[in-house]
Amino acid sequence: MSDARSDILARIRHASACLPEAEVKLALSRLGAGPSATLPHPDLAIAFLTNVLKNQGTVDIASSRSEAVVVIGKYLYEHHRSRKLVAGNDARLAALPWRDAGLLPRFGEAESGELAALSYAVAGIAETGSIVTCTGRNNPAANNLLPEDHIVIVALDDLVERYDEALDALQSQRPRGINVISGPSGTADIAMHMVHGAHGPRRWHVVLLGHVPADCVEHAQALAGLANERQAEPLPDA
Amino acid sequence: MTISSNDFIAQSVVALQEAERLRTRKELGKHMPALRTRAVEEFGDFEGLREHVANVRQHALDNLDYYLPQFEQQAIDNGNQVHYARTGAELNDLVLSICQRHNARKIAKGKSMVTEETELNHHLERAGLEVVETDLGEYIIQQAGETPSHIVGPALHKPEAEIRELFLDKHPLGPRELEDPPAMVEEARSVLREHFLSADVGIVGANALIAENGYSLLVTNEGNGDLCANLPNILIVCTTMERVLPRARDAAALVRLLTRSTTGQSISCYTSYYSGPRRQDDIDGPLETHYVLLDNKRSDILASDYKDMLQCMRCGACLNHCPVYIGAGGHAYGSVYQGPMGSVLTPLLSSLEESHTLPSACTTCGRCAEVCPANIPLPDLLRDLRHDESRSKLGSGRWRVSMKLHAWVSQHPRLYQLLTGLGVRTLHRMGRRRGGFSRLPFASGWTQERDFPAPQKDTFMHQYRKQAAQDE
Amino acid sequence: MYWSFDLTPTQGVVDHLAATVILALSATPLRLVQQKDSQPRMSESQQPQASQRFQVHLFVTCLADLFRPSIAFNSIALLEEAGCDVTVPMSQTCCGQPGYNTGDYEATVPLAKQFIATFEGADYVVAPSGSCAGMITHHYPRILEGQWHERALDLAARTFELTQFLSEVAGLKRPIEQRSDVGSVTYHDSCAGLRELGIQTQPRHLLNTLCRADLKEMERTDVCCGFGGTFCAKMPELSANMASDKLEMAQASGATTLAGGDLGCLMNLAGRAKREGIEIEVRHIAELLAGDLATPAIGESSQS
Ligand code: SF4
Repeated sequence: MSDARSDILARIRHASACLPEAEVKLALSRLGAGPSATLPHPDLAIAFLTNVLKNQGTVDIASSRSEAVVVIGKYLYEHHRSRKLVAGNDARLAALPWRDAGLLPRFGEAESGELAALSYAVAGIAETGSIVTCTGRNNPAANNLLPEDHIVIVALDDLVERYDEALDALQSQRPRGINVISGPSGTADIAMHMVHGAHGPRRWHVVLLGHVPADCVEHAQALAGLANERQAEPLPDA
Repeated sequence: MTISSNDFIAQSVVALQEAERLRTRKELGKHMPALRTRAVEEFGDFEGLREHVANVRQHALDNLDYYLPQFEQQAIDNGNQVHYARTGAELNDLVLSICQRHNARKIAKGKSMVTEETELNHHLERAGLEVVETDLGEYIIQQAGETPSHIVGPALHKPEAEIRELFLDKHPLGPRELEDPPAMVEEARSVLREHFLSADVGIVGANALIAENGYSLLVTNEGNGDLCANLPNILIVCTTMERVLPRARDAAALVRLLTRSTTGQSISCYTSYYSGPRRQDDIDGPLETHYVLLDNKRSDILASDYKDMLQCMRCGACLNHCPVYIGAGGHAYGSVYQGPMGSVLTPLLSSLEESHTLPSACTTCGRCAEVCPANIPLPDLLRDLRHDESRSKLGSGRWRVSMKLHAWVSQHPRLYQLLTGLGVRTLHRMGRRRGGFSRLPFASGWTQERDFPAPQKDTFMHQYRKQAAQDE
Repeated sequence: MYWSFDLTPTQGVVDHLAATVILALSATPLRLVQQKDSQPRMSESQQPQASQRFQVHLFVTCLADLFRPSIAFNSIALLEEAGCDVTVPMSQTCCGQPGYNTGDYEATVPLAKQFIATFEGADYVVAPSGSCAGMITHHYPRILEGQWHERALDLAARTFELTQFLSEVAGLKRPIEQRSDVGSVTYHDSCAGLRELGIQTQPRHLLNTLCRADLKEMERTDVCCGFGGTFCAKMPELSANMASDKLEMAQASGATTLAGGDLGCLMNLAGRAKREGIEIEVRHIAELLAGDLATPAIGESSQS
């Protein structure tokens, strides 16, 4: 098989400029990172939440870890009438004040049919409305994919503006896998009809943890065009 | 592949008569461009992005001799095994031998155009392996025994009712309604979930290979690619060598461009980067990971005037915007690659003999090049392929000779004006009453579908000459 | 430009040639053979006078020459109204698009050179067709090499499509009282003009400022009509499907006139409209801008 390798590399060399390494590197360094998307709002948190909503996610904000646990409990109860939750062996997740919401997650790998899994994102990307997890002990890949609901906590301090910033930040860690998630699993393969829950989670819920103004969710909803429905409601006869 | 690319015309006529499918394609041709336009407008400096990515990819292709070995070394350092395949057959053999080495029985496969190109499934199935396509669109056409009709939405040609029948027939789940797409997706989800959990090998493609760190990028909306890449014990990534990008940030830039062009999303639901096998503390992940890098004429293209085509990121925008594709449908192209990109790529990957009709299946309207995120001058490349065709005398001899004749006459202005004057005055006399012709002996291609408007009384040149003579 | 028609499958090249000759003989050859030299004699009466005036060479385009001279006459009228001295080089024929688009670059090169030699003396070359102007500005430089490539680039910089020239270079204006009513118009953006030359606002601007037009935009006005030169004869069914879609959108706009800047597209659309019994007048933009509604629309009877 090494034949195929040397064959192919020889053909490529034949078709390439075969520049010295220094020149290639110099040329590369001149190519910057390129433009990123215009944010829907100058405030990083509002921009992030807006894009999460546009990606068909749902959002909550929590100003403290205790509040985060409470909103997660509420979410679980609302959707599943349940308190079951699986989470990776992430120290940050283990350290949450779970008792405040009467929850106790199972720490480990999600199984097929699991109702909900919780991840603690390593970053949130405002540009795209994405959260980033790294596969490994902290967050087995299955936890992103097998449950019905995927709940993700993102710390306000971990928000970045640009997609490439998030990748560059992980460069030195070299995790096994980097998963940038931007919505519930979706497909439009049948009659161009969008359906969520193709293979992975049917719902994707993002909890932004940190001190953000209380009205930033409303703001984001308006920017994502979700507030229109409410405004369109006829005024009650007075 | 039973349909030959040179049957394009006959196949397109068949496709035009399938009313429901034609309607679906026209919907696609209406909605996808609208979604893309909105996404492009929202982005901001989309032109700058396009140019940036084109420059990066150009740089990567120009220096592939540097970046491919760099990627290989990084990937090996990450614990992968890297293999090369000169041809589709070599790729198929490599994949089969990896599967056999592990006594694999079932393979869960993500969407991969490269393995469509090499017809990997047939090869593995002939050796007794069970291959399950897990992208819903791919799964549908696999169950139906069909080929993809669109590089992004392989089952877009299938109406809802056909998919319902197919599922009722193929899934032994007893009587049930499957009343709407959500119900069908739900059923496919539970059937495929079992396959994910029991597969021995996962096979996926790659949207990019990152040289600086040896990662590969996979973009999906369903999440099936991630399931294939993380649940089975063996992972095989099949891709082609021109996918190499220098840096992680280049992959980010590519995603910005790709998903907006494909579906109008700012990013797809899952953009995942894989480095290699499971590590010591990991709870899940593959135990062994392989890259199979396919050439299959890419190195020829790299050295040719068609090099730009290697920048194609398989976004499908050129299909969605191509009125010929919308009319003809994907199957008429007789290839896993359809539309404008297919009409360029198919002759380059097979041979012009086998597919010389495709480059002519184009009005050179240029809408594809206008939206192509990779800035590929598709109409120019198609015209250049016609040039190759014309030089190797593959197409219709009548066309070739009449073009030569036309060019020759046009080089002799007086003869040209004499002949055109005679012809025009004759046509005018014959056609002035009705205003046009419903049949003309030398224009049957034209008059088959439309009237031929009769000319005004004489050519301009004669009228003008006469007028000037009178003025003197 | 495109007028090489498909031969019926039973007919060979010899038939094609024979038919051309028969057509030639059946008319009145003698008078024509006596035609004198075909140099731009005509231009003498229009020699440049004031240095301010634009010296324009009109490329009639072969389709307008053959099938719709009114386009060229109206173009001349518009250019003169805009203060141009118009010359019509009498040795012009075809820009070579049919051969070029079918991939016969070898046959196109001599035509390109002939065109350049004929027109390069001009300050400006104007053509009432986006695809012909695009051929000169974009494609000649692609297929010519060396010194000819340079000459092609030089000419390209001075070559314009009619509406582009009238609005961007000559800045043609017309007092309100001289603007004639041209009714409701929908404008089809022909592909080459739109994408190679960026022609989109110019014809609309002119329709609004030189005439009284009720502009009604159709949906997806930028989608190809299916003409595509030889494409329409090689793949007639696909082409017709595209033309029908375009006509459907044009009709839905509510306009009574469908206008465009490329005669090839317009003949395709008019012919398809006739075949399908769709009532819409198809006209070249030059006719509307010049207020020439007396000439029957494309494909309409010239005896009423
Ligand atoms: S040719 Fe361009 S538009 Fe077509 S699939 Fe490739 S990248 Fe997309």
